[in-house]
Amino acid sequence: MTASAPPVVSIRGEMLRMRIRSVRAFVHQFSRKPAGVVGVAVLAVFTALAVAPELIVGPLQTVTTAPGAHLEPPSVAFPLGTDSLGRSVVNLVVWGTRVSMIIGLLATVVTVVLGALIGIVSGFVGGWVDGLLMRITDMFLVLPTFVLALILAPIILDIVGRDAELFGIRVTLIVIVIVIGVTSWASTARVIRSQVLSLKERAFVDRARVIGSSGGHIMRRHLLPNVINLLIANTVLTFAGAVLTETTLSFIGLGDPFQPSWGQILNDAQTGGAPGLGAWWWVVGPAACIVLVVLAFTLVGDALDQILNPRLRGRR
Amino acid sequence: MTHPTDPLHLAETIVEEEHELADFDRVREAAEQEDAAVPAVLPTAIGRRQWPLPKQADPTAPLLVVEDLKTYFKLESGMVHAVDGVSFRLDHGEALGIAGESGCGKTTTALSLVRILPSNAVTVGGSIRLMGIDLVKKSENALRRYRWREISIVFQGAMNALNPVIRVRDQIAEPIEHRLGLSQKASRKRAGELLDLVGIPKKRGNAYPHELSGGMRQRAMIAMALACDPAIVIGDEPTTALDVMVQAQILDLLDDLRRKLGLSLILITHDLSVIAESCDRVMIMYAGKVAEEGTVAEVFRHPRHPYTQKLLSAFPNIHADRRTLDTIPGSPPDLREPPPGCRFAPRCPFVMAVCSEVVPPETTFHGIRVACHLYPEGSDGEPVTVPTADAIGVTTTEVS
Amino acid sequence: MGTRYFGRKLTGALITIVLIVLFNFFLFRMMPGSPERALARNPHIQASVLAETRARWGLDKPLFPDQFLAYVAATTQGDLGYSLKFEGQTVVDVLATHFWPTVILFGVGEVLAAIIGLALGAYTGWRRGGPIDLVGNAFSLILYSMPYFVIGMLLLVVFATGLRWFPTSGMLSLGASHASPIDVFVDFLAHFTLPVATVAIGLIGQYSILMRSSVIETLSEDYVTTARAKGLTDGRTLRSHVLPNALLPAVTLIAINLGYVVAGAITVEIVFNWPGLGTLTVDALSSRDYSVLQGSFLLLSITVVFANLAADFLYALLDPRVKA
Repeated sequence: MTASAPPVVSIRGEMLRMRIRSVRAFVHQFSRKPAGVVGVAVLAVFTALAVAPELIVGPLQTVTTAPGAHLEPPSVAFPLGTDSLGRSVVNLVVWGTRVSMIIGLLATVVTVVLGALIGIVSGFVGGWVDGLLMRITDMFLVLPTFVLALILAPIILDIVGRDAELFGIRVTLIVIVIVIGVTSWASTARVIRSQVLSLKERAFVDRARVIGSSGGHIMRRHLLPNVINLLIANTVLTFAGAVLTETTLSFIGLGDPFQPSWGQILNDAQTGGAPGLGAWWWVVGPAACIVLVVLAFTLVGDALDQILNPRLRGRR
Repeated sequence: MTHPTDPLHLAETIVEEEHELADFDRVREAAEQEDAAVPAVLPTAIGRRQWPLPKQADPTAPLLVVEDLKTYFKLESGMVHAVDGVSFRLDHGEALGIAGESGCGKTTTALSLVRILPSNAVTVGGSIRLMGIDLVKKSENALRRYRWREISIVFQGAMNALNPVIRVRDQIAEPIEHRLGLSQKASRKRAGELLDLVGIPKKRGNAYPHELSGGMRQRAMIAMALACDPAIVIGDEPTTALDVMVQAQILDLLDDLRRKLGLSLILITHDLSVIAESCDRVMIMYAGKVAEEGTVAEVFRHPRHPYTQKLLSAFPNIHADRRTLDTIPGSPPDLREPPPGCRFAPRCPFVMAVCSEVVPPETTFHGIRVACHLYPEGSDGEPVTVPTADAIGVTTTEVS
Repeated sequence: MGTRYFGRKLTGALITIVLIVLFNFFLFRMMPGSPERALARNPHIQASVLAETRARWGLDKPLFPDQFLAYVAATTQGDLGYSLKFEGQTVVDVLATHFWPTVILFGVGEVLAAIIGLALGAYTGWRRGGPIDLVGNAFSLILYSMPYFVIGMLLLVVFATGLRWFPTSGMLSLGASHASPIDVFVDFLAHFTLPVATVAIGLIGQYSILMRSSVIETLSEDYVTTARAKGLTDGRTLRSHVLPNALLPAVTLIAINLGYVVAGAITVEIVFNWPGLGTLTVDALSSRDYSVLQGSFLLLSITVVFANLAADFLYALLDPRVKA
């Protein structure tokens, strides 16, 4: 940006205006998808719970601060009863929202970054790099997530130590994040790669190559912006999957009892014998939350997919 | 016969004048020799129908009379007036070409006849009388009786129009078995004969669609359209997806079948040379309405409607005295809110004040129907020629 | 079926299996609690004892090629080592005894889910936009959003502890003496119903959504328009033209899924204490029975590879276009 500063500024301005216009068009299109709007509303409620659980149900209850008796059925004081330690299930579920959502978010970030990176590089570079990366991707596609998670969790804990913390999240939960990321990037990479392959054939990539842009520049400046739509829809769907995987991993005992997620609460309920004792209230709350959040993400993801996915665009 | 000039004669004159088309001739000759060996297993003339007429049919009524047909598409953003008051007539053994730019409603018009339309399309008015029976009034169930048995369709892309997982012969036999009630064995036998008729060896009937070449697939599609010996065959851009040589072969096949079997044909295409070669009459459509309709010879030699003139000069090898291609500036109107007057007015080089206010009525001169304010009722109907180059800024070379 | 297609797919599967075996080797060399690590962590251990142990386990040899080759040789001969928890039993034996309960549970569950899910999906897709589609699709989406263990726990709460129709856990009643094989079977069925219902319900949503979108996509194909133009009845169009094509991707995905389901739905076994591979795997982790864990990881990964291969062949069998 030297002598031609003014036109650059006006081009910038024009681009900004185009951006705003396309965002407006997108919001308009999205508002026409009732399922997507419902999904957004549900997610807004859960985000509020995750941001400020303290305002709604007070501090997280522990064994020492448990206000109720052992397995009290629902009452006015405890709308969803108490668990075996006498903690209010509502309190646990609301606090569980934060844990579940944060793990879901972090796991999604890991998945999408890894998947996008490998997908773009593989598709753009091609040749043996592509062949090798796709073989590895295929392998990760077939690895059984939960078994791999069971194996990876103790390895990672062994390496970093059991009581470490990262951003205020206990390391057992970070392990879950890494495990989800490692086991689910492969499908994102596949989707992105196929999109990059088709983009590569288009003129603008050739043009960039002709004017001497480096591979890295083309990938960052030309390919990434063009796969971003696909990536956004994929991210939302990945989030739904991440929340599901997190609950399942916590349920099979990889969670952290000190920072209970919904899956951890259900794990406690299972080991505490809730189904056998008929303590349905211990199960129903976290179960409903899991279903609602996953459903909401799926609905939003589908709506985004319909609007943003070039393959689906133009169809009903 | 209603048409004074033999369209084939016209086509041949054009071929003579335009040497680029010489290939067509050669291909036709070759195809004719080939066809001499093809046995005629189907009725070869009108009135020799193998299957009874529909019960309500009036044998004295014309084959097909469409009046003021209106088919709209419901979209979230409004009603698309895709076909807006189209009338035409088709007689026994006649070939009618429908031409126009894509999106002008030609396909929708043809598919409206047996209501093979997307679910958001609805025929809101007009009548379609097939042998005197109004198909618009028929319920979906009652209309099924007329599909394929009376009106069959050769679709554009045979690759997609044929089911990829069913053998070609079985796809041809299917309507014979299920619509005419023949046994499976008899249906397959007949399907084999039909394959023979369109020039595909019987054995190839065992193939799946993807195992046949593009031309073969289109032949199979034609065989399928003939399966129930229909009164009318609609060709919906039957040759568009094919390369030029194969196109010519398919057109010749259609022509031959028409003559042999006495078929009545509606040919939809944007390629005017196809119509010149194989149709008796032509109907030019623009933005859901008929612009001009008449015999191929008259319409192509003396186009009256400015749109017809533009369309003809936009095609190579048709207008003998023009060498360069003409273009029509602008694009067709938004059919959700069509312009109040003539729909071509915004693009018309002759536009007058009246054009953007009053819908031009259809008037008839010497068998030519035209909807344009240049030719009001009571005028002599002499063609007014569009000024070419100057008006639109395209340089053309006149060859006299 | 073309041999080239067959060969290409088989080669791909073999390469993936080789990669899995490789990955498995290095993964378990990193596991905490291996003999070497356990010894090295003990500050009182004498160097000579450590060296002796290392020699006994072959750990003094370089990781590559010696250790790796020994591992590959053993693995290809079906020798996966010995279980720590089930003393004296080979990993292969332990896996084998836990294999059949899993196969029965997921086999029957898959078949039920495929039949119900595909039928539901086909119907809702065919009647898309109608009231049945709305309800059916919402129902499928909700099922799709439920992890297996949530379904299992809810079924337990309602039908086992609430209504007391079914027992809560296991495959057969413990300590019960069965008079005849029929009694055994009845007892088995009582234990089997809820777990198999859980597996089926967990999959129905997924299959129904898949089939629905496949049917809707097929309905927009030109050959369906051709079928309508032929004047065929709706039923015949659906049976001969829509379903055969719509089933192609659905059946293939179900075959692929077969491999993942076993690994992904191990939570069902935990909820119902079903003596299958899932329960075995989780138990192996808590008892640090790494050789069993390694074995089940290998078994489950390879199952997925074979399921994928089966799907490819099934596709080639069903779709005449895949033959080159």
